[in-house]
Amino acid sequence: MSTDTGRSAKTIELGVDGSVGSRTFRTLALGSIVVLTASYVSVLREVTRVVGGTELLLALVGAMFVLATIVARVVRPRTATALAIVAAVAGFAYYLEAAGTDIGVVSSVADEMVADTLTLATGLPLLQMIEAGVWTLAFAPAPVFLSWYLALRGRYALAVVPGTLALYFLVLTGDAETIVTLLGTLAAIGAVGFGELARRGGSVGQADLVAICFAIIVALSLSVTFVPGGPATPATAGGTDDGTLEGAIDAAPERSGIAGSVDLSPETRFIGTSEQPTYWRTGVYDRYTGSEWLRSGQESEFDGRLTPPPGEYETVEQTVRAESPLGTIPAAAQPLSLEGDPIEDATVSSHGQPHPESTIHDGGEYTVQSAVVDPPSDELETAGTDYPEEIEAHYLQQPESTSSAFERRTAEITADAETPYETAITVEQYLRESYEYSLEVDQPDGDVAEAFLLEMDEGYCVYFGTTMVQMLRSEDVPARYVTGYTSGEEIDDDTYVVRGLDAHAWVEVYFPGHGWVPFEPTPPGDRDDVHQDAIEEPDPDAFEPDDEPDEPTEDEPGAPEHVQNDSADDAGDDDVPESEETEPEPEPPADTDFDTEPDDEFPISIPRETVALGALFGLGLAAAIRRSGATGRARRRVGIYWHGRRSEPDQDVERAYRRLESLLARQYRPRRRGESPRRYLTALADSAPEDSLPHDPRLESVLEGYERAVYGGGVDRETAEKVIERVDELTRERLPVVGRR
Amino acid sequence: MSDADPPTLTDVTETPLPLSAVADLAERIETNVADVIVGNEAVVGHIVTALLARGHVLLEDVPGVGKTMLARSIARSVDCRFRRIQFTPDLLPTDVTGVNVFNEKSREFEFQPGPVFGNIVLGDEINRAPPKTQSALLEAMEERQVTADGDSHNLPDPFTVIATQNAVEPTRTYELPLAEFDRFMKKLELGYPDPDAEAVLLGRAVGTHPIESLESVTDRETLVRARETVATIRVEKPVRSYITRLAGYTREHAEIGVSPRGSIALLRAAQARAGLDGREYVIPDDVQTEAPVVLPHRIRTTGREDAKTVVSDALERIAVEPS
Repeated sequence: MSTDTGRSAKTIELGVDGSVGSRTFRTLALGSIVVLTASYVSVLREVTRVVGGTELLLALVGAMFVLATIVARVVRPRTATALAIVAAVAGFAYYLEAAGTDIGVVSSVADEMVADTLTLATGLPLLQMIEAGVWTLAFAPAPVFLSWYLALRGRYALAVVPGTLALYFLVLTGDAETIVTLLGTLAAIGAVGFGELARRGGSVGQADLVAICFAIIVALSLSVTFVPGGPATPATAGGTDDGTLEGAIDAAPERSGIAGSVDLSPETRFIGTSEQPTYWRTGVYDRYTGSEWLRSGQESEFDGRLTPPPGEYETVEQTVRAESPLGTIPAAAQPLSLEGDPIEDATVSSHGQPHPESTIHDGGEYTVQSAVVDPPSDELETAGTDYPEEIEAHYLQQPESTSSAFERRTAEITADAETPYETAITVEQYLRESYEYSLEVDQPDGDVAEAFLLEMDEGYCVYFGTTMVQMLRSEDVPARYVTGYTSGEEIDDDTYVVRGLDAHAWVEVYFPGHGWVPFEPTPPGDRDDVHQDAIEEPDPDAFEPDDEPDEPTEDEPGAPEHVQNDSADDAGDDDVPESEETEPEPEPPADTDFDTEPDDEFPISIPRETVALGALFGLGLAAAIRRSGATGRARRRVGIYWHGRRSEPDQDVERAYRRLESLLARQYRPRRRGESPRRYLTALADSAPEDSLPHDPRLESVLEGYERAVYGGGVDRETAEKVIERVDELTRERLPVVGRR
Repeated sequence: MSDADPPTLTDVTETPLPLSAVADLAERIETNVADVIVGNEAVVGHIVTALLARGHVLLEDVPGVGKTMLARSIARSVDCRFRRIQFTPDLLPTDVTGVNVFNEKSREFEFQPGPVFGNIVLGDEINRAPPKTQSALLEAMEERQVTADGDSHNLPDPFTVIATQNAVEPTRTYELPLAEFDRFMKKLELGYPDPDAEAVLLGRAVGTHPIESLESVTDRETLVRARETVATIRVEKPVRSYITRLAGYTREHAEIGVSPRGSIALLRAAQARAGLDGREYVIPDDVQTEAPVVLPHRIRTTGREDAKTVVSDALERIAVEPS
């Protein structure tokens, strides 16, 4: 490992025949290392963008670069590697210090680290980690330092190792997108390839090989999907399909997407019996990335009891019978205990939401007891802001990218609110009244909450819920985003049919002394109409105008949004007793999810990748062609028949002669080394039949013109033109198809 | 006591001959010689170019193939002074160059020019004379003058030596040193005539020998003017580069390669070759034609390869145009 000093001195700078100094290749190799580093740092930055700490991360990375640059001059590789390992260990120790208490599954530090890493490596996105920011900061320095250090020492192949490991770890966690992965991979190959060229003093021709390697990899990855894709999409819950509201909300147990337009599925999900109508909660999310919701923390095994809310609550017992496969455990918030065969091995999230280990099949039945928190508004008014530390740590999170405009607007809207409760009510009312309900929306590019508040004028529950949570958080009110189903259609006393189109998302706000209290920012009236349409007209062909918006009806009778009802005068529960309308067709064809336009994301994301890949592929192809000499052949081939632009007479004559010679070379044989033009033509004439090209008298005059131009002190313009003309005649007469006279 | 000839090697007062006349002249000589010499047109052409290029020629072959006859035919074709020196082991240098003789009448020493004072000098069987005598001739060839007792005597213009040497009986000859070989522009070999040519030869041998009736077709003055013209034939850079690259090749692939003198000889021979074609510039073909007779005798090889192979390899491997 100590042989690399002075290696640069050994490299040879070749100055002839298109070779390039090793300096250029060294620059390219270092550039590739930078790109590789950038690829995984960009993934990490994506994490810090959500949980905070971007500046710190970038500063850390920059510091590592500087440190590595300095260290590269003075420290031997062995020492530097040791340093990097120490730094990595220290970083992770810090992470464990910060996160250790939160991850209850593991006990010892070593176990914890291994367990965390394994969990991550098997597909847990970074953002699901409670201390994702700290983890990121702990993770970044070692590979950055080591790869840059080694690259500066000229050990390009070794330098690629830490970077590639880091990148692929992020691929395993599912955080690295395909394009980032691909770029990183290409950069790694580039670093090795250019590094080798730099060390051995290669030429541009050899650099072609690197380009060809790139192209091959791109081609492979396009055809075989050899680069692991982005986050793997787990099986959707409850047999839902993409494109439906339900599918979008419950895309995966640990994340809740925000899609563009969605449809509604009228399929019956489950039948619940409940003493009172409640929303059925299936998921709780605390971490918002700007485009989706994630649940941080890990599931723990369910031991039969859950922590009750701190304040007063009313216990509700519900029985749920699955009518189609269920990937969730719908229950009124806040579940306290569960019973039933299908959910024996259920796990529970750190937010107290149970999840089944495996899908609950048709007919599976369970009973759940829940603590419904419904304190009177005056108590909530006075609940104060004495939030537990843990609540503040996790439920005030906003993406770093949140703009000041968003916060200003929120502040304006909530200017009159004095308590958190008032703030929540104000926001809820504002959203209900200012926005229209529609399932047909274009998913905004940036932060959904921001786009909804500032630019959009319609959306559905996901948009309303998301926006409300983020508005509250910007006002320092702890809030979280929850998903599930509305109460459903009451078909009998205390018996409710819940369909896919009842899928819904709403908001829970934390009040000290009471716990999480649900709020409903989605305007109730419109949804019901939409919802009804979906039930009544499940015909896929007829969906166009009407079927779009079927999501949960916020105004449902069993709505959990007591709060809003108290303060808000709007048509709460009563105004739309949709039960009558919903009756008509309880069981429409099961698979009538209408995919309206799943095209939203495609035109945006794919072209960019395609263009990048296409460019790389084209580059490689060009290099391969160049390497095969095809371009040169083509040029010579065309050059036979076309003289092109004129220059000096002598050069023109020379070029004309060369064209003739190319023609002869193709027809007979090329001129040998050491064979003079005259001798060549004579030899051809000797061996060719009498009336063939080599006997053409025009050859003599071309040859003479050539000799005169080259050896006889030059020719005049007139002669040159004559020679060109002769050659034009000769070549065109022998043009394969056209041009024959 | 010199003849007060102009100090220059050539007679610059003569006006150059037109190029076409040079070609014509050469052709006339060749045709004329062909009356006597059957076959061997290439060798005749080489001798004519040497004549035009101010070079000397060494003819080497087994006895009896017509070396002397060829030289005599050339000499007779030009109306100029022809001298012949038969080299023998007892020939003295002064027998070649001439000697100062005491004139009783004038009471002074007078230079008595030797046989070397001719326009065309035939040195027959040059390798039979001892080195000292050979040197006398070779010095005259190089210097174009003869020094006797401190006085220099210019040789006439033109001055061309056609020497012959036998390739057999090496024990009874004095091998020419390489340095002296160098002074011959060309070394030519006649070879045996093919059967047809020999038949013609035999037919001519009946009766009087044709050489006796050979008429001259040109004169000394015309030859000088033709030489003048040939010297002005254009040699462009690509050709010069080609010559140097050929010479360079021989230096790399033989113990002793072609000297700069050899390169110059090649260039001059190529000029004359171009003149033979009536062309006012040299093309690589001229060089290629001349190289096999101009270069090999200047090359000394170590191993099995002989000098001719080195030259033919060079012609094959060295690109005509610089890349």
